[in-house]
Amino acid sequence: MKGFPTFGFQRRKRELQEEIDAHLQMAITDRVARGETAETARQAAAREFGNIPLVQDVTRDMWGQGWLEQLGRDVRYALRQLRKSPGFTITATTMLAVAICANSTVFSWIEGTMLRPIPGARDAGDLVSLQRGERNFSPVPPLSYLDYRDLREQNHTLAGMLAFHHDWITLTGGAQPERVFIANVTANYFDVLGIKPVLGRFFLAEEETRPDAVPNVILSYSLWKTRYAADPAIVGKSIEIARHAVTVIGVAPEGFVGAMPGLRDDLWITLNPLGTSEWRMTHRSGGAVWLNVIGRLGPGVSRGQAAQDLDTLMHHIVLAYPDDHLGENRITLDPMWRSPFGANGFMAATLPILLAFAAVVLLLTCANVATLTLVRFVSRRRELAIRQSLGANRTQLMRQMVLEGVVLSIVAGAAALALTMWTSKTFAWFFRSSSSPTALNGSMDYKVMIGIAVFSLLAGMLCSALPAWRSSHAPAIEVLKAESASISGGSRNRKLLSGLVVAQIALSLPLLLCSGLLLRTLRNLADANPGFEQDHILTATVGLNIAGYSNDEVQVIRHKILDRVSALPGVKLASLTDWIPMTLTHKAEDAYPEGYVPHPHESLQVYHAEVAPQYFESLHIPILEGREFTPDDDEKAPKVLIVDQTAARRYWPGQDPLGKKLRIWGMLFTVVGVAKNSTHMFVNEAPEPMVYMSFFQQGYETIVQVKTEGNPADLAPVVENAIREIDTRLPVFDVRPMRESTQLASSLAVLQSALAGMFALIGLVLAVTGIYGVVAYRTQMRTHEIGVRMALGASRVDVLRLVLLQGLWLTGIGLALGLAFALGLTRLIARLLYGIGAHDPITVVSVVLLLGTMSLLACYFPAHRAMRRNPVTAIREL
Amino acid sequence: MNEKDQYKNRIELLQGTLDMLILQTLQWGPQHGYGIVQALRLRSGDVLQVETGSLYPALHRLERQSWVQSEWKQSESKQKARYYRITAKGKKQLASDLGRWERIVEAIGSVMYIKPEESGS
Repeated sequence: MKGFPTFGFQRRKRELQEEIDAHLQMAITDRVARGETAETARQAAAREFGNIPLVQDVTRDMWGQGWLEQLGRDVRYALRQLRKSPGFTITATTMLAVAICANSTVFSWIEGTMLRPIPGARDAGDLVSLQRGERNFSPVPPLSYLDYRDLREQNHTLAGMLAFHHDWITLTGGAQPERVFIANVTANYFDVLGIKPVLGRFFLAEEETRPDAVPNVILSYSLWKTRYAADPAIVGKSIEIARHAVTVIGVAPEGFVGAMPGLRDDLWITLNPLGTSEWRMTHRSGGAVWLNVIGRLGPGVSRGQAAQDLDTLMHHIVLAYPDDHLGENRITLDPMWRSPFGANGFMAATLPILLAFAAVVLLLTCANVATLTLVRFVSRRRELAIRQSLGANRTQLMRQMVLEGVVLSIVAGAAALALTMWTSKTFAWFFRSSSSPTALNGSMDYKVMIGIAVFSLLAGMLCSALPAWRSSHAPAIEVLKAESASISGGSRNRKLLSGLVVAQIALSLPLLLCSGLLLRTLRNLADANPGFEQDHILTATVGLNIAGYSNDEVQVIRHKILDRVSALPGVKLASLTDWIPMTLTHKAEDAYPEGYVPHPHESLQVYHAEVAPQYFESLHIPILEGREFTPDDDEKAPKVLIVDQTAARRYWPGQDPLGKKLRIWGMLFTVVGVAKNSTHMFVNEAPEPMVYMSFFQQGYETIVQVKTEGNPADLAPVVENAIREIDTRLPVFDVRPMRESTQLASSLAVLQSALAGMFALIGLVLAVTGIYGVVAYRTQMRTHEIGVRMALGASRVDVLRLVLLQGLWLTGIGLALGLAFALGLTRLIARLLYGIGAHDPITVVSVVLLLGTMSLLACYFPAHRAMRRNPVTAIREL
Repeated sequence: MNEKDQYKNRIELLQGTLDMLILQTLQWGPQHGYGIVQALRLRSGDVLQVETGSLYPALHRLERQSWVQSEWKQSESKQKARYYRITAKGKKQLASDLGRWERIVEAIGSVMYIKPEESGS
């Protein structure tokens, strides 16, 4: 067994031939020397030697390498057999390809999001994302710079700890202002992630906090390519961001888009590049809590140990600065694949479940292909029996039959690979209307290819091993003797066929049930009242805060926008806000209600939004008490708040909230109104307290919200032009009807139900064709028997009953097993449901009825055919 | 049962013995397959006729177990042939085969030649 088998094998085959030739030659020479003629000597030597190919064959067996040659022979044989039945080959390959593609597609999405949370980062498995306070599915940045620096410098468990904050900004200086996503990062950001620049350098440690330094910026690879035409001399050049000159010092490598899974950064800059964030850098609470934090575990340190270490340090910080750390401060760490910051929190709750569905589809397909294969082997029983009596042993026969399945599945895998190249990229479709720079997509890499190889080999084995095992155990002599068709079915084959049909029904039921529940969830979500009226609303984002205008200019432009847009024909009301509900984003801040004593460990976080007058009116959110904001609630006026019912009930139960005071960012706000609760992020969220502030007092981003008379989409160009007329340099983007934006909140529900629905449809088709095929086949096998029965006086109804009953049994057992399986599986998706229980009786009953009816219908056709046969021809038919 | 299986069975029957005979033949010097057949026939007085279908599988098996080594050489009659040579490991194997064979012969002999009075007692 030395050397590489294939090369050695050919050489050794040649050598054996030479060895035998030499043997014969010597025998001939000896005989000639004894006086025989050359011709008789040659014949005698050959006779004495015996069957040369056989000697070669048994000798080769001794090498222990014959399997390779045999494999080659078996593959060729399998291909020949498959070519002989193109119908089966095409059907089985297509079904397997679709099922494998379903798996590899979902897997490529998992690979592109959860498994590669930060593309380009070294050992992403060691990275952890940090969360402070109550664990939350959609948290806000956890730390202030000072807290972050204390944790970074004092911990003993992390090899590195980076922090960042990102937001939109405008690239000015070019012909057209361009909105880009920029991240303020700590100097060690790229080091901790293990990223090397393709050009220039990254930040130095001393640049982290120096406000006097020239602001340096690092470009992402794609921005460098698109806006700067991949200029090789870009390093050292000055560009303009929000009308400030900054110097490019480096370009990040291709593929790296930042440290928050699912979001794309275009630029990186230090934390306080212009010296304008001094306040943020020197405080520990309020607006200074702005940094997202990612750590890299030290060698041999577990996530639990690191969390313990950081939590202890945080506890010391809380003791040292208690006023800055009211509420809950516990530190928790998550691996990046399920980090609640960015997209992976949502992905981790959805994609593994979809993969489980896809796996069920693959199993189901295997069962279906296995029935086809078994029927095929039964029809080839004579060929198999002949080969067996000619000396092929069972292992050889089985190997060949399994190989046919494996060849099929390899072809199917190749087809699935080609398909997945495309389907992996369809993931982004589900997040199109996002106002964040989403970078969500499937990734087709070597891991997905390995996955496809594993899926297809498993599938190939699964769908051929059982039929092959069964067929290779058919008694050869009986098969050859028996001319009657009746024996061919064989009671054992019948059992296997029945088992496979039952499996298909049992596997498709949970798929149908889950998809039914998810589809009804989607409908419930769409029908749910979010608490605001979103039809006839158009929103447009104006990048005022990021375009480099002074504060006074911003205020003037905002009023101009309101005046102009309100005057447009077709516009009923115009308002301003800095947040759109149900877009997967929210703002949150710690709030300290005066006179309220929090429970121990109670989070004081409230959601907040800054809205202009007429906001509530245009969205039809009722003001239950007090008043709405007026144009007089501006910077000069006392700070005011409108709270929602949740906040009012939590902080002032049984009291009148009007006139009460709340401290946020160290400022006192007076409650002037109470608004009715409305949806913030998801229809099925647990309500969080919400406070609305006056846009002209605290507004940051500028989103114009217009209530239109007609279709809001028709007004989009008019509104956009009206804003641009004020100042052509104003960046205006995301101009779209509100309903389009709020669809983002149900994008995951759409994803879940779309895939589950598709898988369930595949499952239904497979199960129904599976039961149809088996009942039709078995009925055909029993043609003769049925003919005899009818000749002996059985009525057509008797025949119909005979066949139908058979199908009914199989369906019944399948449904019973499937129901047990399904009710177990729906617990997996219970968290994804809304407005419907995981065991919702109506859905369960309708799904069972649907599958039962379809199966019975599938049985009816063969039964009907059998019933209509002429008994005389049926008896003659063998 | 096909021809191939029959060959296999015959090897099995003879296995220990054929291996031992081949190794013994190679004790007298390196030899090719044809030479081994001739040598065995001569030494056994034409009684042992080894079939090629047993010999070559046996030789290749012995080589795989490193009991013999092979190399291509010219024979006396200028014929290029594959010569097998016994290895040190093969010699050890031969000794143990021989010991076992002697015990078997002895055992069979003692069964076959039992004196009637001894069996009676």
